[in-house]
Amino acid sequence: MKRVFAVTLGILTAIGGFVDIGDLVANSETGARFGMRLAVVVVIGVIGICVYAEMCGRVAAISGRPVFDLVRERLGPKAALANLTGSYLVTLLTLAAEIGGVALAIQLASSVSYLLWVPVAAFAIWVALWRVKFETLERVFGLVGLALVVFVIALIQLQPDWAALAGDATQLSPPDGEDWGTYGFYAVSLFAAAMTPYEVFFFSSGGVEEGWTAKDLLTSRMNVFVGFPLGGVLSLAIMGCAAVVYQPLGVQVDTLAQTALPVGIALGKIGLVVVILGFFAATFGAALETGLSSGYTVAQYFGWQWGKRVAPRQATRFHTVVIISVLLGVALLLTTIDPIQLTEYSLVFSAVVLPLTYLPILVVANDRAYLDDKVNGPLANTLGIIYLVIIVVVAVAAIPLMILTGVGQ
Amino acid sequence: MTDQPDPLRIDFHLLDRQIVDAAGEPVGKVDDVELTLNPATGRLQVTALLSGQQVLGERIGGRLGGLLAGIARRLHPVEHPPPLRIDLTHVASIGSAVTLTVHRDALPTPPLERWLGDQFIGKIPGAGHAGQ
Repeated sequence: MKRVFAVTLGILTAIGGFVDIGDLVANSETGARFGMRLAVVVVIGVIGICVYAEMCGRVAAISGRPVFDLVRERLGPKAALANLTGSYLVTLLTLAAEIGGVALAIQLASSVSYLLWVPVAAFAIWVALWRVKFETLERVFGLVGLALVVFVIALIQLQPDWAALAGDATQLSPPDGEDWGTYGFYAVSLFAAAMTPYEVFFFSSGGVEEGWTAKDLLTSRMNVFVGFPLGGVLSLAIMGCAAVVYQPLGVQVDTLAQTALPVGIALGKIGLVVVILGFFAATFGAALETGLSSGYTVAQYFGWQWGKRVAPRQATRFHTVVIISVLLGVALLLTTIDPIQLTEYSLVFSAVVLPLTYLPILVVANDRAYLDDKVNGPLANTLGIIYLVIIVVVAVAAIPLMILTGVGQ
Repeated sequence: MTDQPDPLRIDFHLLDRQIVDAAGEPVGKVDDVELTLNPATGRLQVTALLSGQQVLGERIGGRLGGLLAGIARRLHPVEHPPPLRIDLTHVASIGSAVTLTVHRDALPTPPLERWLGDQFIGKIPGAGHAGQ
């Protein structure tokens, strides 16, 4: 049982990181518009996050240093401050979107407007961050988030033409009616969604919270290589469901209810209940991750005490940052901005700040003063460098593509 | 000091490293170092680590650093707060973090941490307990 629970950090990170409000929407949007033609980006993203999460899990286990410590040490205080500003704002946008996602999930179940649920959801999220033990959060939301496996079952139940779906996935070009600009824009969004910086902030800090040592390297790797591919499979299933149901009809997806509908078609009411539960757990889990990450980044930049191992009284600056971030997220949502649009913007800005986070991880993963004989091998370095190049290209392309396509319209 | 890289480079091994206490709990960053002229050798020596947002702001310099130092000053009850100064004799080892020989309780609590504890976080129910 201990072994099973050992991977819950990875599952929570993956459910929250991969299948949060952004991915629920981005995957079904792209499925409806492009079929499976962007599926390859999800696969590339999964491999990328595995490569880098493995590195920072290893650094956290051997040296006890989370990602933002490395960012400050390797980039120096100035560039790290620029990264902190960018990463914090992106994490804040994502946090707001996740709180919105929780509220939208409750709206689906209750038919009461999500705006009324926003303060309630935010308060529940804060209470969890304030009072509940890290391991408990991880287990509850990691395991309940598994309800999203219902998308895989729904896809099978829809009895799609598997050969056609697979054939579609090998077509690396936009379908009729779409141009290269929107294809590129959604590719950037999907890639950024897979490699969102808060995933590595959360994963490495979570490892430190759990007190990982060299003995836990196996746990860390299991988390990475089970959790993230699982998130990838769920993402692909969501994309597949939308491709099967919406693409033939030419329907565009822009609400969470539409993301859920294919499951309802395939599995009826029970399916809908399970999928709404899954939405709730995934967005709530992601809200916890982004809420903690907002505090982690600031506290780790300045060297403050952080985390949930100690009482809030012992880490007052960390908890203050978390509270302010949740309140700012609520304020942003109560302007009645569409949470789904908010997510789309947060993905684009994530893409821009990616290199400043991933470069220091790669550098430190080669430093013997941190890792002794556990430094990167040739495989990790080759993949690390290939992905760094991809990350830089994506970062440069993100804003021009956003402007060129009018945010993918 | 028992364990440190040789040669020790201030910019590479000291500046911006995390300082942790004897139990491994975070104390602050090495935001700057104190250099003292050793009259015997005529060379500068590191004699203490300095930590705090204000010294950090001053080290970064420019408008950005000025802003950071200014905010730190505003959040401080004293007009010209001294940085947290940790004498090099209290440093146990320098590795991926700078580890001290003392416990963090023996060091002065940063004023902002203390103020938030007294006026805000400490007043919320459950502040004294780690998660359940």
